[in-house]
Amino acid sequence: MHIPDAFVPLGQSIVYWIIALVFVALALKWARSELDDEKVPLVAVLAAGIFAIQAFNLPVGMGTSGHLVGGALAAIVLGSPFAAVFILTLVLLIQGIIFGDGGLTTMGVNIINMGVIGGFVGYYTYGALKGISGNTYAAAAFAAWLACFVPALAAAIEMAIAGTFPLVPGLMAMGLYHAAIGIIEGVITAGAIYLIANARPDIMEKRAEVAA
Amino acid sequence: MEMKPFLVAGVALALLIGVAAVFLASGDPDGLESTALFVQNEKSITGPSPEDGDAEAIGEGTFEYEAPMPDYGLGEVFGKPGEVVAVLVGTLVALLLVFGVGKAITTTKH
Repeated sequence: MHIPDAFVPLGQSIVYWIIALVFVALALKWARSELDDEKVPLVAVLAAGIFAIQAFNLPVGMGTSGHLVGGALAAIVLGSPFAAVFILTLVLLIQGIIFGDGGLTTMGVNIINMGVIGGFVGYYTYGALKGISGNTYAAAAFAAWLACFVPALAAAIEMAIAGTFPLVPGLMAMGLYHAAIGIIEGVITAGAIYLIANARPDIMEKRAEVAA
Repeated sequence: MEMKPFLVAGVALALLIGVAAVFLASGDPDGLESTALFVQNEKSITGPSPEDGDAEAIGEGTFEYEAPMPDYGLGEVFGKPGEVVAVLVGTLVALLLVFGVGKAITTTKH
């Protein structure tokens, strides 16, 4: 889902960058308020894990592959959608500058899609479903699926505005492929939360207290 | 589990996943690239992707940037070992950058 420089005209990229920077500023405000000496290493390890797993493309059929994005995972584990913006911004920065994965002019729109939309959709869907079902893992899995699917539709609309993809075929293909890729997002997110909850139940308990 | 071994295990798992990705990841294009190939009529929506398809050919953006480790590798000369180095470097840079930014934020608020 990493949009390259070639896909968005520069003028539109600047608009997306300005919107993204507003959320990055809010994410830094979150970090200043929520991070402490104990949480910083946890956030760093989560970022390293998200970077590594983003390099692991799994086949989803239809001549397509996909990987975990991690917005929902970061938001759920750290208890805020701004955690996803914080981590994904830094991961996208590394991917864009060092590896050429996702553009530099389009880094703003990628932050919006994967960090902002992914983080907010993942966090609030998880909170709502956890409240209804009481099942952490099912709620996390569906929230993560949606946090992959909705940003993909947003990207299709952005590509239509950019004149890169026609709207309806773009929405159809992006929706179809990311509905499949979202299954990877859901399974890995639920699995990672299971591992964290078993190794360090206090981390997830703190999140439950915050949600309540 | 104590926090320190928990974090060490997390870093080890991240590095392991990164190395495994070099050898096991799918070479098929991702969802965005597949969509680009589909709307360029280079693939059907559910069919296989062409091996020589250029997803970015549809783009009209003019900005170009040459990353030091493009496509998570060090170039064809270094092959898979170069890709292992690239993904290990990326994982450790992610760890250190987020740790550094986080520490800078917590230090300045005291």
